Amino acid sequence: MREEILRVQHLTYEYEPGHPAIEDISLSIGKGEKVAVMGANGAGKSTFFLNLNGVLQAEKGEIFYQGRQIGRKDLRNLRRHVGFVFQDADNQMIASTVEAEVAFGPVNLKLSRQEVKERIDQALDYMNLQSYRKRPPHDLSGGEKKRVSIADILAMKTDIILFDEPAAALDPFSAEMLEQVLSDLSKEGKTLLISTHDVDFAYRWAERVLVFDQGKLAADGKTLEIFLQEQVLQQAHLKKPEMLKIYEILLERGMVYEQSYPRYAGELANCLGGTVYGE
Amino acid sequence: MLKEHKRNRRRQEHFHGAAAMDFYACQSEIRHWNGCYKVVSAVLVLLLCIILDTYLVSVFIIISVGALNIIGNGIGFRNYLALLRVPIGFLFLASMAVALGISAETAGDWSISLHWFWLYVTKAGLARALELFLKALAAVSAMYYMALSTPAGELASVLQRMHMPRLLAELMHMIYRFIFILSENHRAMKTAAVSRLGDADFKTSCTAFGQIGGNLLVLSLKKANAYYDAMVSRGYEGEFTFWEEEKPLKKWQILALVCYLAVLILLWMAEKL
Repeated sequence: MREEILRVQHLTYEYEPGHPAIEDISLSIGKGEKVAVMGANGAGKSTFFLNLNGVLQAEKGEIFYQGRQIGRKDLRNLRRHVGFVFQDADNQMIASTVEAEVAFGPVNLKLSRQEVKERIDQALDYMNLQSYRKRPPHDLSGGEKKRVSIADILAMKTDIILFDEPAAALDPFSAEMLEQVLSDLSKEGKTLLISTHDVDFAYRWAERVLVFDQGKLAADGKTLEIFLQEQVLQQAHLKKPEMLKIYEILLERGMVYEQSYPRYAGELANCLGGTVYGE
Repeated sequence: MLKEHKRNRRRQEHFHGAAAMDFYACQSEIRHWNGCYKVVSAVLVLLLCIILDTYLVSVFIIISVGALNIIGNGIGFRNYLALLRVPIGFLFLASMAVALGISAETAGDWSISLHWFWLYVTKAGLARALELFLKALAAVSAMYYMALSTPAGELASVLQRMHMPRLLAELMHMIYRFIFILSENHRAMKTAAVSRLGDADFKTSCTAFGQIGGNLLVLSLKKANAYYDAMVSRGYEGEFTFWEEEKPLKKWQILALVCYLAVLILLWMAEKL
């Protein structure tokens, strides 16, 4: 059982009165958890993240960080612990150089100059961006901008990082690199929440899935449990992951016997290997 | 090295106008010089150019600052000339207006009949126009030295340190970022319009232009909101504070500036006395 780091209770947010973007969301996030937040466009995922980060303040409901309730005056404090990587990196970049951009958060945290400098170096090293540090953001490619936007948040050293569709518009190489970064961050004990439409990625990476549908939390559970619920997937306009589909076909044809749903191609090959050569 | 150079060449071909200036400023060999020093030295040269007001001083500034822009900023002679093309064209037309006179009958040292009136020039008028042209070009060179070695974001920070109102400096920062975001979107929209025959004739071009303008306005409003959310999420509390690299002022730089200004004054004295 993981130690609770973030909890929301009956969270409701309305952009327009009478039309809640998220409604009555209650859940608890454990420290170091890898959570995929899924749902159709407009299901409320980004609004949920903006509330968790304290940019938006819900009319109803409470947010607890490490057991302490976050009030209106503590929103600033919440941002120190919950970082948010926006979907469109261009919307996140403010400064005129990559270095100044990464420093924006730490400078706002009122850290000493030496500390800010160290954090810039660490974040740029982590995202392999040292050679870009003097470049202006508009001079970068989409993948490079995404890396800078992640470095922005890493430099703030938040315990929880929210990623809003991080792989959107990335080429396969950049997406693979991003996945590696997410794995590394998770190993370092960061709590990660990722909003995504990519069911294959969510199935592979997440240990828990939250499914949003029309502003409501339609399902919350372990990754495999969620992806085996056809009704939930249909309701949230999601598809079954390809790996799961292949495995089920093989299972149906009697080519694999073990009920150990594989996440990676290697695991699937192992299931087959046992059948073909072991028999 | 060659690969990097070729890559830079390719990248710079995509930039025009203000974007090209910013591109060169980011690549400048003297970018690491103290920002305040660059702004102050450029302004001092500009002021002396106007106050001293002689051919020799103007020509010296055009050549020396031009050399600094070409070699120091690493722009290259052709690119520098390309950047100067517009101001030189403008200054040439303005100087012509000063040099030329209109008269009902023949006048001045040289004149030409244009049926209804005479266009004439005098030697004194030509000299005045040349003086004005050189002085203005020298002033433009000095400003180019500043613009080609200091990226716009750094320039805003320097101006803020020089007690420019914070609001204006922050606006400069925002506008700087938005110019690139909106121009990128404009380019994408224009390409999309052209790909669907949005430029088939004058009428469709005008319609597409209007629609792109309208879309850009809506987009800029949406982007402004998203931008604000992103800033707040990283601790923005109503005041921009940007990280600035430490660029200490060196003694030789001060000495070089003093010597340069002294040379300008000596040239002025040599011409006047």
